[in-house]
Amino acid sequence: MPTENLTDKRLSKFKNKGKDPLKMRERRVAECVELRKAQRVESILKRRNIEFQPVEEPLSPEYNTDNQQVISATIQEIIENVNSDCPERQTQGCQTARKLLSRERNPPLKEVVEAGLLSRFVEFLSRNDNPTLQFEAAWSLTNVASGTSWHTQQVVEHGAVPAFISLLASPMLNISEQAVWALGNIAGDGPSYRDALIDCNVIPALLARLTPDAPVGYLRNLTWTLSNLCRNKNPFPRFSAVQQMLPSIIQLLHHSDKSVLSDACWAISYLTDGPNERIDVIIKTGILPRLVELLTFEELAVVTPALRSIGNIVSGSDVQTQAAIDAGVLTALPKLMRHPKPNVQKEAAWAVSNIAAGPRPQIQQLITCGLLSPLVDLLKNADFKTQREAVWAVTNYTSGGTVEQVVQLVKCGGLEAILNLLTVKDAKTVLVILDAINNIFLAAEKLGEVEKLCLLVEELGGLDRIELLQNHENNTVYRAAQALIEKYFSEDAADECLKTEATETDFVFGPTEVQRRFDF
Amino acid sequence: MFVTDIRKEFYDVVVNQRVALLVSADIDALCACKILQALFHCDHVQYTLVPVTGWQDLGTAFLEHKEQIKLLIKQDDDLGVPSYDDIFRDDEDEDEDGDGGDSGNESDGGSEPSGKRRRIERQRAKREWEARRREILFDYEQYEYHGTSASMVMFELAWVMTKDTKDMLWWSIIGLTDQWVHDKITHMKYVTDIATLQRHVSRHNHRNEDEENSLSIDCMRISFEYDLRLALYQHWSLYESICNSCYTSCSFKLWSINGQKKLQEFLADMGLPLKQVRQKFNSMDLSIKENLREVIEESSNKFGMKDIRVQTFSVHFGFKNRFLASDVVHAAAALLESVEKDEGATDNFIKALDCLSRSNIEKLHLGIDLAKKKLKAIQQTIASCICTNLILSQGPFLYCHLLEGTPDVKLFSKPLALTLLCKYLLKAFVCSTRNKRCKVLPLIMAAPMDVEKGTVIVLGIPPESETSDKKNFFGRAFEKAAESTSSRTLHDHFDTSSK
Repeated sequence: MPTENLTDKRLSKFKNKGKDPLKMRERRVAECVELRKAQRVESILKRRNIEFQPVEEPLSPEYNTDNQQVISATIQEIIENVNSDCPERQTQGCQTARKLLSRERNPPLKEVVEAGLLSRFVEFLSRNDNPTLQFEAAWSLTNVASGTSWHTQQVVEHGAVPAFISLLASPMLNISEQAVWALGNIAGDGPSYRDALIDCNVIPALLARLTPDAPVGYLRNLTWTLSNLCRNKNPFPRFSAVQQMLPSIIQLLHHSDKSVLSDACWAISYLTDGPNERIDVIIKTGILPRLVELLTFEELAVVTPALRSIGNIVSGSDVQTQAAIDAGVLTALPKLMRHPKPNVQKEAAWAVSNIAAGPRPQIQQLITCGLLSPLVDLLKNADFKTQREAVWAVTNYTSGGTVEQVVQLVKCGGLEAILNLLTVKDAKTVLVILDAINNIFLAAEKLGEVEKLCLLVEELGGLDRIELLQNHENNTVYRAAQALIEKYFSEDAADECLKTEATETDFVFGPTEVQRRFDF
Repeated sequence: MFVTDIRKEFYDVVVNQRVALLVSADIDALCACKILQALFHCDHVQYTLVPVTGWQDLGTAFLEHKEQIKLLIKQDDDLGVPSYDDIFRDDEDEDEDGDGGDSGNESDGGSEPSGKRRRIERQRAKREWEARRREILFDYEQYEYHGTSASMVMFELAWVMTKDTKDMLWWSIIGLTDQWVHDKITHMKYVTDIATLQRHVSRHNHRNEDEENSLSIDCMRISFEYDLRLALYQHWSLYESICNSCYTSCSFKLWSINGQKKLQEFLADMGLPLKQVRQKFNSMDLSIKENLREVIEESSNKFGMKDIRVQTFSVHFGFKNRFLASDVVHAAAALLESVEKDEGATDNFIKALDCLSRSNIEKLHLGIDLAKKKLKAIQQTIASCICTNLILSQGPFLYCHLLEGTPDVKLFSKPLALTLLCKYLLKAFVCSTRNKRCKVLPLIMAAPMDVEKGTVIVLGIPPESETSDKKNFFGRAFEKAAESTSSRTLHDHFDTSSK
C-alpha cells in the first residue's frame, strides 16, 4: 500500500532511524556537492601586497605582451641562465621565470614544465648558500604546482616534496613561507598527495613554525595549508594526523585575523564532514562554544565555514546534536535564517532540518528557542534551495514530534506554508511535503480532529492542489496524492477517524478564525 | 556620466526632477541652455540657472545646490574616452604582506577556498596597470579639444522628441558658429555639422511652404548662405568690416602702409567707390548690394584670398531684421564679456542669454555695437603689437605681454576676447614675419586680469596651421610651468588653454 511505502521512506529519512543511518548524510552530500567542489580555475582574485623587493624593478619588456614568441624567447633565455654554473645567472633565470609565472594573466605554466626547468628549480631549493636563488625557485615551483593535477604531479615527480619540507625550517621567513605555500598546493591536489605529505612527516614540521611571534601573513599561509591537509575524503586523513593537527587548529580558531579564522573553520568543516566518529573527535576538543560564537562573526568568510561545521555536527548522533544545542547553537540560528545571503539561509535551514530529525526534547528546544517562526518565514519567502531544506525540517519535525509539537507548528503557519509549496516543480520536494501533510493528519487522528483538519486544508487551498497532484507526471507523486485524498478526503473518510488519544482540548483542529489563526 | 541615448538616459531622467543648470561662459553653452530652457518650459520642469565661469564656480555651485537631485554640466564633449577599467580599479582588500593569488575564491568570501593558489606579484601587476593608465590618461588629457557643439546635441534631443522649433534650430546654428568663430573646431568638422544643420533647415522650411503668410511679422525664416567672411558687415559699413575682420586684415596686412594701398586697389578693382563703401551697409546703393558677394569673391581670388566666403546661415524675422549667425555670436560674446562699469558677470550672462531671443532685438543691437568696439580694439592692438615688435620669440614659443595702460586692455582681461585677439594676432604675425621658424611656433599671451589684485590672465594657442586639428596642449604645460616656478596660479577655466 502506498501509505506503508511512505512510512518506510519517512522512517529512513530520520536522522537516526531507518535502515541506512547514513541516508541523511548522503542527502546532504548530494545536495551540497556544489558548495564543496574544489575550483581549480586559474583566475586570480585575492591579492596581497608584499614589498619583498625593496628596489623598484624596471618593468621588463614582457609586461605588455601575451605574445607567444616573446614567451618562447624568454624561456630560452631562462633555460640558458638556469643551466649555467654562474650563481648570478641562475638567480636571474629563476627570477625571470618567477616573473613570468606570477603575471596576472595566462602564466605559461605548461611551457615552463615542457622546457624541463623543474629539475633545476628543485635542485636550487637545496642551495642554502643562496637564499635568493632558493626563494625564486620556490616561488616558481609554487606557481607551477598551483595549476592542474598534471602540473602538480610534475612538480612532485621532480622531487620537490622532501626539499620543500626541509625548507620549512629555513631561517629565512620568506623562504619558509613559500615552502608552506607550495606544500599547501600539493596537499590540495587530492587525498593521495595529501597522504604522501603526511607520510613525509610534514605535519610536525609545519606545526613547529606555529609560534606566537609569527607574522599574520605567515599564519594565514600556514592555516590554509593545514586546512588542505584536513581536506578531502575517500579516504579521510588518518586519525593520527588529525589528532596531531587539531590542537593547533583549535588555537588558530582563537586568532583575531579573519583569514586565519576562515581557513581554520574550513579545516573544522572538513573534519566534521564524515562519520560520527570524526565528529566526536572534534567535539571532544571542546571547540563547540567557539564555533557557535563564530556564527555571529560579522565576516561572511568566517560565518560560512562555521555554519557548515555546525551543520555537519548536528547531522551526527543525537548526543552530538545535543552538544551543539548545549553550546548555544539555537540562539544563533534564527539570525542566520534571516541572513542577507541566501546561502547562509540555506545552510541554517539544513541545520534546523537535522535538529528537527532528533528526539522530542530537541524538537521542543526548537520551539522554546523561537525557531518556528523564522522557519515558516523561510518557507514563505526564501529562495527555492532554502525552501527545500525548510520543507525537510517540517517533515522531520512532524514525523518525530509529539501531537502538541505538531500543533505548535501548524499554529505558526507551517501547514499553510507547505501547502503553498505544493505547486513547485521539483517532484522530490512535493513528496516530502505530502509526507509532512500525512504526518500532520496522523497527529489529527490522535486528536480526533481529522475532519477539522480537512476543512482547514481545504480552506487554505491545499485540497485543490493535492487534487491537482493526482495528475502529476511523476508516479510516486500522484500515487501519494491519491492516497492522501482517499484516506482523508473521500466520502468514507469520516468513518476512519480514530480517536485514540484524548487530549484536554477538544476540537483542536478548529475552523479558521478571521486572521487565519488556526485553533489547532 | 557618459550617455549614449540622450533621450532615455538624460531627458527622461531629469524631466521629473528639479534641475540645476550650470552653464559655462561661452556662446555655445548659452545656446544649448536656451534650447533646454525651451524644452523644460514645455514640460514644466523646474530648474535653477547657474552661470559658472570656471571650476571654482562649478565647485561652489555644486556645493550650494547639492541637495538638488540632478546636475547638468554644459561643456563640449570630449571624444575618445578611455574605458572605465583602464582608469579605475576597485580597491580590494590588501593585506599587509604576502602577494597572494587565490584561484576560484568568490570575492565576497562566501564560498569554499580553492584547493590551490598561485602567487602573483600584486605590486608588479599594479605597477604595470598604473603605467598603462598613465599612458592612457596622458593621451587623453594632454590635448584639449572640442567635440560636437552642445547646442547641436540639445537640438538633436529636441528633434528626437519631435519638440524642435525654428528658434531651437537657430540657437544650435549659433552654437556651431561660435565654435567656428572662436576656432574650436576644424574646418572639416564645421562643414560636416553645417550639412547636418542644413538638413534640419530644409525640413523646417518645407513645413512652411504651404502657409500663406510666410513673411508675417511673427515668422522666422532660416536660410543657408554662402556669405562673406566679413564680421558684422551688414550692420556696419563694408569698409569698416573689411578693416576689422581678421581674414581680410591679415591678408592685406592692413597695419602697414602697403596694406592700406592694397585695400584701395582691391576696392578699385571691384569698382566700389570709397564713399559708398564707407556708408552704412543698408544705405549702400541697391545696385552695388545686388551682386556684392560674387563681385567680392572674384576680386578676392585675385588678391590671394581664396576663402572669402563661408557656409553659414542667416535668419530673417520681422521686416527688416536679418542677421547672420556670426553676427549673433559676436554680439553675444561681446555682451557676455562686457567690461562696462557696474555690470557684474551675472548681469552680463543674463544679457547675453537674452539677446539670443527674438524678442530682444535691442539687446542684440547693443551687443553688435559692443562687438564692433571689440573688433576695432583687436585690430588696433594687433597693429600696435606688430609695428612695435611686441611679439617676442622665446625659443619654443612666441610671447606677447599686454601691459597695463595699453588702450582697451580691459577688454582682454576676458578669455573669449583674449582668445580672439590671440588667434588674430598669431595669424597677423605669421603673415608679417619673414622668419620661417617663427611661423610654426605657438603663441602665449598675457594680459592684466584684475588690476587691483595684480593678476594676469595667460592664454596659449597652438601654431597657426591649415591642417591643425585644433588640439591645445597648453593646459598641461601651464600646470607644469606653475609647478616648477612655484607661482600662484588658478587653473580655473574649463577651456584649459587659458589660465
